[in-house]
Amino acid sequence: MHTRGSAFQVVVDGVVDGVVDRVVDSVADGAVDAVSPATAPGSPRRVRIIDATLDCLARHGTTKTTVDDIARQAGVSRATVYRVFPGGRDEILAAVVDTEMARLFSALGVRLGEAGDLTEALVGGIVEASTRLRNHAALAYLVEHEPEMVLGHLAFDESDRLLVAASHFTAPFLARWMSPREAERVTEWATRIVLSYAIAPSDRMDLTEPSQTAHLVTTFVLPGIRSLHDAGTPTVIDITPFGSPQALSDPPALSAPGSSTDQHPSTDQHPSTDQHLYVHSTATALSKGAMP
Amino acid sequence: MGDTRQRILEATYACVARWGLAKTSVEDAAREAKVSRATVYRTFPGGRDELISAVVAWATLEFFIELYEQVQGAESLEQVMERGIMFAHRSIVEHEVLQRVMQTEPEKLLPTLTFESIRIRQGIAEFLVPFLEQRGLAPGVDLREAADFLARMVLSYMSAPGRWDLEDPVQVAQLVRAELLAGVVAGPGPDAPLPPGSTGPGG
Repeated sequence: MHTRGSAFQVVVDGVVDGVVDRVVDSVADGAVDAVSPATAPGSPRRVRIIDATLDCLARHGTTKTTVDDIARQAGVSRATVYRVFPGGRDEILAAVVDTEMARLFSALGVRLGEAGDLTEALVGGIVEASTRLRNHAALAYLVEHEPEMVLGHLAFDESDRLLVAASHFTAPFLARWMSPREAERVTEWATRIVLSYAIAPSDRMDLTEPSQTAHLVTTFVLPGIRSLHDAGTPTVIDITPFGSPQALSDPPALSAPGSSTDQHPSTDQHPSTDQHLYVHSTATALSKGAMP
Repeated sequence: MGDTRQRILEATYACVARWGLAKTSVEDAAREAKVSRATVYRTFPGGRDELISAVVAWATLEFFIELYEQVQGAESLEQVMERGIMFAHRSIVEHEVLQRVMQTEPEKLLPTLTFESIRIRQGIAEFLVPFLEQRGLAPGVDLREAADFLARMVLSYMSAPGRWDLEDPVQVAQLVRAELLAGVVAGPGPDAPLPPGSTGPGG
């Protein structure tokens, strides 16, 4: 099981792609609930076996968990386990990854959907994801005892895939405040932040703490979002989430002082109390060509 | 002693480049370095495991020494970060040994590399501190906190560019000024305005 070529690894690779596609599809259909554990494909028995497997993994990892262990933990017979998962252990482990990803994304969808403004969405999303990663007992065991199982998904090309998939899934929830393209950049950035602090926790920044996360978001992330926007993205952005209408009349709060007026002359045509910022510039025209 | 250690590490690296991490033995390293097995064990008492960890650490350090040299002479914080990210990204993509090991035996490399990345992050943060001090921080930004945040982000982008094209200087300039520095530094620097026509990632 320690080699990358193991059946489990292969299954996990496939499932990570598959589950993201399915979750993204169901969100696109407006049916986030379809992936929540209660209505996930399969019966309560299936969920019971998956949860029992999670308990086993949290204690023994992947290498020492057998189908017998899982059956005992779930309080069902071995035959029942095989009826639900004819592929045995590898199929169960793949279903566990599938289910846990769907649970994480569902929870994120709920948090982002509930948010009243952009700051709340970013803080809520980062705290939710960080807390779930931190409190995940099976993940913690694997990081400690079988790091190669987990790290493969967090490095170089695999990390790229994860960044794109996670941001692709979460971006639509930010569509209320920015263009789809900006939303994908911002959610990719937020995913980087979550992963960095999850892999290497900081003693001065705990992203499971809403207040510390709010500090990080307002200090580093929101100014970056404004700056990205000012760089020329052809959209209408609702800037109320960035602060009170008064704050909007303060140019430095919205964009770098100096050149912004020259670059975006149209901002002058709209009073600062207007909730929408229209940006039309040479940069906009150019970037339009690059839009999907 | 230092020379012997260096020689053994270089020899081990050559073996890894040829055969990979799993198949490189103490005997191979000794033969390649033209020293005895006993000398290898004297220098690396933990044997093969210690040797492999040491060679990953050594190759990582070599990479960052090269990166450090690349950004020497940069005139601004923006320039340091742009040059650093572009160089590091290109070096990783073109690093044959790293790419091959990641293809064939990532599980042998990643635990050590992840451990090393903590030291690397601290190194990048330390390196950025004087540039940040010189540049001036935005009100309310803590120097150490900002340096640590930037180091984390630099590491994230250099190893996984996501939607960004890190070979495109215009995109890198936008990345550095917006996602990395917008909240950190005070006002625009001497060369701070974004290049017109920045299209950012994606597209």
